[in-house]
Amino acid sequence: MRKKNVLAVILSAALAAATLAGCGGTDNKDGLQTGNSQTGSSQAGSSQTDSTQAETGSQSGTALTYWCELNQNVSANYSNLGETPFGKEWQKETGITVEFQHPPANQGSEQFSLMLADGELPDLLEYAWMNYPGGPEKAIKDGNIYELTDIINQYCPNLRKYLDENPDIDRMIKTDEGHYYCFPFIRGDDRLCNTIGLMLRQDWLEELDMEVPTTIDEWHDVLVAFRDKKGATAPLSWEYTMGSLTSANPFAYAYGTCREFYLGDDGKIHFGPAEDGYKQYLELFHQWYGEKLIDQDLASLQLDQVSAKITSGQAGASIGWAGSRMGTWVNAAVQTNPDFMLVCAPYPTINKGDQPQMGQIDNRYPNQGSVAITTSCKDIEAAAKLMDFAYGEEGHMMFNFGIEGESYNMIDGYPTYTDVILNNPDGWSVAQSLSAYIRGNYNGPFVQDIRYLEQYYTIDTQKESNLIWGATNAAKYKVPPVTPTTEESKEYSTIMNEINTYRDEMTLKFILGDESLDKFDEYVKTLNELGLERALEIQNAALDRYNAR
Amino acid sequence: MKKQSFSQRAKKDFRRNRALYLLVLPVLAFYIIFHYKPMYGAIIAFKDYSPGTGIAASPWVGLANFTRFFSGPYFARLIRNTLLLSLYSLLFGFPAPIILALLLNEVRNKKFKSVTQTITYLPHFISMIVVTGMISNFCLSNGLFNDIIVLFGGERSPLLQNPNLYRTIYVASSIWQEVGWGSIIYLSALSGVDAQLYEAASIDGAGKWKQMLNVTLPGISPTIITMLILKMGSLMSLGYEKTILLYNASTYETADIISSYTYRVGLLDQDWSYSTAIGLFNSVINCVLLVISNRLSKKLSDTSLW
Repeated sequence: MRKKNVLAVILSAALAAATLAGCGGTDNKDGLQTGNSQTGSSQAGSSQTDSTQAETGSQSGTALTYWCELNQNVSANYSNLGETPFGKEWQKETGITVEFQHPPANQGSEQFSLMLADGELPDLLEYAWMNYPGGPEKAIKDGNIYELTDIINQYCPNLRKYLDENPDIDRMIKTDEGHYYCFPFIRGDDRLCNTIGLMLRQDWLEELDMEVPTTIDEWHDVLVAFRDKKGATAPLSWEYTMGSLTSANPFAYAYGTCREFYLGDDGKIHFGPAEDGYKQYLELFHQWYGEKLIDQDLASLQLDQVSAKITSGQAGASIGWAGSRMGTWVNAAVQTNPDFMLVCAPYPTINKGDQPQMGQIDNRYPNQGSVAITTSCKDIEAAAKLMDFAYGEEGHMMFNFGIEGESYNMIDGYPTYTDVILNNPDGWSVAQSLSAYIRGNYNGPFVQDIRYLEQYYTIDTQKESNLIWGATNAAKYKVPPVTPTTEESKEYSTIMNEINTYRDEMTLKFILGDESLDKFDEYVKTLNELGLERALEIQNAALDRYNAR
Repeated sequence: MKKQSFSQRAKKDFRRNRALYLLVLPVLAFYIIFHYKPMYGAIIAFKDYSPGTGIAASPWVGLANFTRFFSGPYFARLIRNTLLLSLYSLLFGFPAPIILALLLNEVRNKKFKSVTQTITYLPHFISMIVVTGMISNFCLSNGLFNDIIVLFGGERSPLLQNPNLYRTIYVASSIWQEVGWGSIIYLSALSGVDAQLYEAASIDGAGKWKQMLNVTLPGISPTIITMLILKMGSLMSLGYEKTILLYNASTYETADIISSYTYRVGLLDQDWSYSTAIGLFNSVINCVLLVISNRLSKKLSDTSLW
């Protein structure tokens, strides 16, 4: 008899557990909904702020959770940002305990999606917030993050001051409705905005008695010479599969077009791949591919394969960053070939002596590494103070140069990195030792300082890169950070998904010769059938709203 | 009347076998919590879901997500690619472990047999990202495969940029990776074949070949058919992992399958409702295929899953 009772208890307990588990999800969702209604108006949001603050008080020692991707230069030596000297100093200076959470490498956006779907958000969430489906305004409306206007006005004197002094930045980081949603990553200098360009073997040029090429025709001659006289099997080789490098294609820019949207002379947004210039660019690349001037494995190249080709002399020219590509390759290659040297080449033009017009450029607010306060956050004041620190004087130095006396010294008023950074005793690369002390060499919620870059580039040719690559009118053609409305955004992303797939596929087919360029008009027609005009309409409306901000 | 008798019978059975019921309870709970409860979430396929508003409160949109997929420009291509890739995998990938098992079964040298077995099933344990990294390196125009092609008088070409070769590379590498592991189950089935049957067959004058056809294969046919039915049930659900690591825009034509498309559109763009709709469509097709193949097998060979 007794046994039976025990069984009954176990059974009902299991049933109850199953039922509870069943309800759990719904409860959670209800909770989120409440958060939503509270943030419906910013007034209500701020009143909640006050009450939460009264309950917990700021700096009460409860840890804030902070989710961000861990930069690979950090993860090379640390498993958590909180373990780095940077992370410790940040907490010490602000007196706020932070528990950092990181997704597995390269899974940031997947994990972000899963976190949103799950509904359990950390207090602070670092992300490229303009990529939130439906735009940042939707993130506020969904009740995932707080609208920050009142919070910034109340708790963030440093950021407020910076935004008041820089109205152009202020415009970038707001939504069309005038709402703040994040503590932004800002490039503090225009020179920090051009980071990608052409580079080629200087020692080969000297040996062949050739000049750094500036036009398409000169490039052709140089690449042919690399192929015939230097035995390069892939004269021009770069990581074509990587989105940002494909987008910043200097040869497409030469024809006044690009792979993305750009701002035309008429002040409207245009789609590069549907324009005539794009056909000329494709013709050029198709010809070069046939002449084996471009890496034959173009479509499947990975970074390690490109690096191997550049450093071993199978390739003589590439497209990439001055720091992570050029610097790394030169340092690696001189070990075996002391003559190895790369030089930056300007964006090529069609006619000799012309000024290059388009080029790669980031917006000052490049939509990365920006932090929002989520509706899960209980101690908003502490979160706001933690964030505001970086926009003040002390925080600015810490985020860009680290700890005075340890990672940098002030020499004649110039923050100079110490040997801990430049000649790390543990043999770390400069990028890795920088990443232990600062965030200035990648991104995060602060204003980036050009003085970091001046010291990060150690090779002369790297230091020239900003000047050479920056000598364009790129800023004029750059689309500012516009956002479609919440309603349009789904339609827009549906259209662009299909268009981007089609563009990528056809671009490669034209270049590889699988598809004849006679079909270019048909290709443009298909782009229009996929809804290009509607996408342009949405983009241009967004631009109008942006200009009206 | 009937209902009462059922509940009476159930009670009686429960009293008699309560230990068994207790044993089955955790399994039952596992299925309810992890397999049946999440099915509730599938209704977001018919909604415009956003995590902020929650599953229940998100507005209904009817079949909009399905029509978007069916009327999309890539629908036909995705279905074709998925089916063809699955079909080829089945056609070439399914017999491979059986053949390997049959061959291994005939090997008399124990040491040779175990070494071969180990070597063939080792690739199963290599992570997918390493395998695809190896494949993409070997397929470069100066890679291993091209070296071999040149050795036989061919010309170098980037293999992973050729849409016509993609399926071959995909299927062949899958076979290489899974053939050893897949043969284990057949080897165990083979060891269950009665040795007397072989003896009888050889007395009747059957050689090795005839023995294999008339004794071994019928002996393991229930296993083969069960495996085949299970395979049929997952015909449409090719995983995206290998595809997104191997394909590029120049091979979309043959390489882009439903799951990789869903990955690009659904997961990266966080369009949950749309990807759920595609997933649901996939599951329904799989379920239908499973039922059909099970029926067929029941009719033709008396072996079936249920």
